[in-house]
Amino acid sequence: MPGQAPKLYSIKKTTVAFAVASVFLLISLVWMVLQDSTREWKGWQRKFMELSRQKASAELEAAGKAVDTAKLAELTKQIEAARTQSKAHSDEITRVKKEIAKADVDTLKARAHYQDLKQFQDSDRYFLEEYRAHHEDEQAKAYEALLAHRGPEFSKAKADLESLEAAREGLQAKLEKFTGAEETARREAAKLTQAKTLLEKKVKKLTFDWMQMILNAPMLDFIRPSLQIQQIVLENLYDDYYFNKTQKVDRCVTCHLGIDQKGFEDAPQPFRTHPRPELFLAADSPHPLEEIGCTVCHGGSGHSASFVTAAHTPRDKKQAEAWEKKYHWHPMKHWSEKMLPLNHAEASCAKCHAGQAEMPEAPKLSQGRKLAETFGCFACHKVDGFERWKVGPNLKHVQSKLEQDWIIRWLQNPKEFRPSTKMPRIFHLRNTSDPGSASKNDAAIAAIAAYLMKNSEPIALDNPPAAGDPQKGEALVKELGCLGCHSAAGVSANHHGPELSGLGSKVKAEWLYTWLKDPKRYHTETRMPSLRLSDEEASHITSYLLSLRNEKFESIELPHVKPEVVEQMALNFMTTTKRQVEAKAELEKMSEEDRLEYLGGKMIGQQGCFGCHDIKGFENAKQIGTELSEEGSKDVEKLFFGFVPLEHTRQSWFFQKLKEPRIFDDGKELPYFEKLRMPQFDFTDEQADALVTFLLSLQKTVIPEAMQNRLDLREQQIEAGRLIVAQFHCQGCHTLDGKVGAVREIFEDKGKAPPILTGEGKKVQSPWLYKFLSGPTTIRPWLTYRMPTFGFDHAKLTELVQYFNNLDQVPPAFVHEGVVPSTEEELQSGGKLFQMFQCIKCHKSNPEPGLSASFLAPDLAVARERLRPDWVLEWLKDPQTLQEGTMMPTFFSEGQSPVPDIFEGDAAKQIKAIRDYLWIFNPEAVSSGAPSAKGTQTPASAASSSATA
Amino acid sequence: MKIQSMFSAIGVVVLFFAVANPAHAGTVSGKASFSGTAPAVQEIDMNADPTCAGLHSETVTTEDVVVNANGTLKNVFVYVKQGLEGKTFEPPATSVKMDQNGCQYHPHVFGVQVNQPFEIINSDSTLHNVHGMPTQSKEFNLGMPIQGMKLTRKFDKPEVMVKFKCDVHPWMNAYAGVLPHPFFGVTNEEGVFEIKDLPAGQYVVEAWHEKFGVQTQNITIDEAGVQTADFAFAG
Repeated sequence: MPGQAPKLYSIKKTTVAFAVASVFLLISLVWMVLQDSTREWKGWQRKFMELSRQKASAELEAAGKAVDTAKLAELTKQIEAARTQSKAHSDEITRVKKEIAKADVDTLKARAHYQDLKQFQDSDRYFLEEYRAHHEDEQAKAYEALLAHRGPEFSKAKADLESLEAAREGLQAKLEKFTGAEETARREAAKLTQAKTLLEKKVKKLTFDWMQMILNAPMLDFIRPSLQIQQIVLENLYDDYYFNKTQKVDRCVTCHLGIDQKGFEDAPQPFRTHPRPELFLAADSPHPLEEIGCTVCHGGSGHSASFVTAAHTPRDKKQAEAWEKKYHWHPMKHWSEKMLPLNHAEASCAKCHAGQAEMPEAPKLSQGRKLAETFGCFACHKVDGFERWKVGPNLKHVQSKLEQDWIIRWLQNPKEFRPSTKMPRIFHLRNTSDPGSASKNDAAIAAIAAYLMKNSEPIALDNPPAAGDPQKGEALVKELGCLGCHSAAGVSANHHGPELSGLGSKVKAEWLYTWLKDPKRYHTETRMPSLRLSDEEASHITSYLLSLRNEKFESIELPHVKPEVVEQMALNFMTTTKRQVEAKAELEKMSEEDRLEYLGGKMIGQQGCFGCHDIKGFENAKQIGTELSEEGSKDVEKLFFGFVPLEHTRQSWFFQKLKEPRIFDDGKELPYFEKLRMPQFDFTDEQADALVTFLLSLQKTVIPEAMQNRLDLREQQIEAGRLIVAQFHCQGCHTLDGKVGAVREIFEDKGKAPPILTGEGKKVQSPWLYKFLSGPTTIRPWLTYRMPTFGFDHAKLTELVQYFNNLDQVPPAFVHEGVVPSTEEELQSGGKLFQMFQCIKCHKSNPEPGLSASFLAPDLAVARERLRPDWVLEWLKDPQTLQEGTMMPTFFSEGQSPVPDIFEGDAAKQIKAIRDYLWIFNPEAVSSGAPSAKGTQTPASAASSSATA
Repeated sequence: MKIQSMFSAIGVVVLFFAVANPAHAGTVSGKASFSGTAPAVQEIDMNADPTCAGLHSETVTTEDVVVNANGTLKNVFVYVKQGLEGKTFEPPATSVKMDQNGCQYHPHVFGVQVNQPFEIINSDSTLHNVHGMPTQSKEFNLGMPIQGMKLTRKFDKPEVMVKFKCDVHPWMNAYAGVLPHPFFGVTNEEGVFEIKDLPAGQYVVEAWHEKFGVQTQNITIDEAGVQTADFAFAG
């Protein structure tokens, strides 16, 4: 045996190494298993199970109480009694049972025999019929004989079976006489305790017993654990991991276990039921959980199954602190799609519901969107899907309207003149308030004013014919409908147009008079309509509005502008395109005035005034703001927080930016022209918050088109109409599309308020509506409010008509609607009723002057052009239901006619006759007492008695 | 516990006497005096409807302020405002009537109980419409084109006052106090009102006038007899 060869390794050392490694492995295994079995979500699931069990136990208790114990005791007694009774007859019962068993066998045999024979009979009959049909008489005869032969046997088998069955039933009845009472009582008792029994089972299932413990034990929980991750796999949706797209999987329901279950509305989070299940989550709701999941709306990391990594976002600081304590929460630094805080959750609605001006179920988003439009955000910022439109007045003729000094005072701080103005403050803000910037602000303001005056064309102005009466003017402002858009004369039902205050400190009489008479002369695109004012009315209103002055504003001192500052600033602009020496030389050639104008033009370009106003020389200028089309999904890192201590989230940055737009310049050393330029709108917290929701809604499209809410043609047409309705503020006066007309509250007598337009599409004929909207005429002479002439073009008129029709789901028919001609008798009755009800008393075609308002109902001669025939029937039935507060009474109170001798008092027939008569009605014939159309004799006496008696 | 039941026993007794025993019900009556200058009497111009004008040979004046010869106010509606809570009163089957006669409403001010039939009559040969403008009950506007025509309505909610107007004849108006109980009255040509059979108890009584607003008084009815509550209005 050779000597022991030297080993290449030391056994001892290796053994030690193995020992250490295996101990380490064991420890890590134990640690792994331990960690796995104590995962956060398992704890939540146990808690939820306990919660459900408690709930079920409570229900069980309630169910137990609900059981009619007296009745149950009674039933138990009955069962007992029945049992003792049946015991007494036990022998007999046993005997009957045996007999039944025997009878069962007999019946079975008899049935088999009968069915056997029946098969033969059926088969033979089939062949008989076949052969007979094919005239193979011999064969047929053979089968006929066979059938006849088997006939008696078959009949006997049937009779046997039936008698056996009857005997069996008799035995059963006999048995039931002994045991039936017990059975019935037992069934009754079970019914009584059914709910309780079910709940008992449920509670048992929810109790964490030893079986559950084993199933969920560490190392064994791979078999069939009751605690497991719940997830919703969303087939058509993907998560974007920059270079990789993965299917969206939402595991939120692993902990949010009660989210789609009823009864957890008051449970603590994470178990609470989702609010509004009919709208969200329920399978038959528009947003079923299985299809939409959770993170599409709420954001966050759907894959994660822990509180922190799911990227929950606290509502506010207080909640953040509470979460830190409770869940060791901290923001997920590298997960950009954090959950939307609940107060901004509506932002996600826009992912699928684009193209809707207003979403009633997302009021905050709708408000934010409206604010963005009202304050002209799209004037500076491009946002896909939102039209850029000029919210401010046209300044191309401004020299006809304003004094240069007024513009200077205005630009210093617009709110000094009118606190409610939408015009933001542009100068003298947080980052431009140091002395160096202040003098530059003043120079810039003077320069802009100079540029605007010089670069505007005068328009022809008319003089008021005579000095108006301010008192009459004030009354007219209240009576004619100015309050439908403006707040004025101490009434503020609307804030659509500017508040009419201080105009005496702003505009000239000729301009105001001309503007009131014909707003489009000054600004062809203005939304201000014409109220068709007479010269006299316009001069009264002019003198009233000019009597309102803002003396404090007038006394604002004009800043002193240093020529050297103007020169320095102008040079600054000029050197961007020229060499310093050349620029200086050119500036020297300019007069002081020219320099000011030059600087003004540059400042307008730099500050982007042309975004909201039409200004000569800036027709094609580009918007100056950042594009916001995908602002809601912009990386937080790309937002500049500067030195402002602020939570690094989009929403907090947006909010801060909206509240104090220049704050991010704090602590920075920047030249005047490089400072932040977003102006100060003085948004309230509520407004800023709504705007944040809107900004968060501007996101990259990630939802496949098929899943988005696409508007059909009808909805698109309604949306188009809504846009016009919002722009021209129809709801300032009219109740329409679910909104109450804002001026209605001013009217005590609602019959004198502008008409309700709900149902207008069903009410009027499309050609008439088109004509009326393009050039309104007086329909209701008793109203002091005038329907303004808006000067809509063909496209807008068509859109509006379609809008009204679509709202009422009636096809827009651009044809005149007639009625099916009635019989002569009907027409005559219609005429008679027309006279009896004295319709013409109020509905006069040519009312004599001096009549009080209430005699001036709409001219019925227009009815057949204006109204839809079906609507007239509804109207005559009960006008109040269609137009609340109307002066038109019903003549058919509670469906009863006061005239029993026409159509036997049938109200429906009478109404139809009146309607049909209206379609041939000739007002001249009625008032002159001559026969009206189609030979319907007018009972002249009735007509004349109302006119002349 | 004992005290409570004692009180409720007393309550039952009081209630028994208050409701069931008319001997312990009282009457409230009083006057609505008027001081100061009354607004000038306004003439109604009925020429807009010749039928109406033809019904009057003398000038007709508005009824919003009627100062009686004895210096009192007519058409003041006086009613029990508080003190009857929790009690229910069956509406009478007899109807309250309002007549349109001579293109005016008669009466101009009146009271009606909730769910009591309220009959509207047109005695004129012209078209009237009764436009009732309650804010609590349903608004109605009934055309009454035929002379002698009658319609009956009910108010299902109390309301002081419900205004009526005729849209055909804008000068026509009337006021009704709709109450859940029968304890109300209207001052007459003597300026006097009377509320009868009011159960014993403490009450707040309110007097309403179309132009001069409302006034209240606290009264106590403890035994049969007449309790006086005078109201003084000033122009």
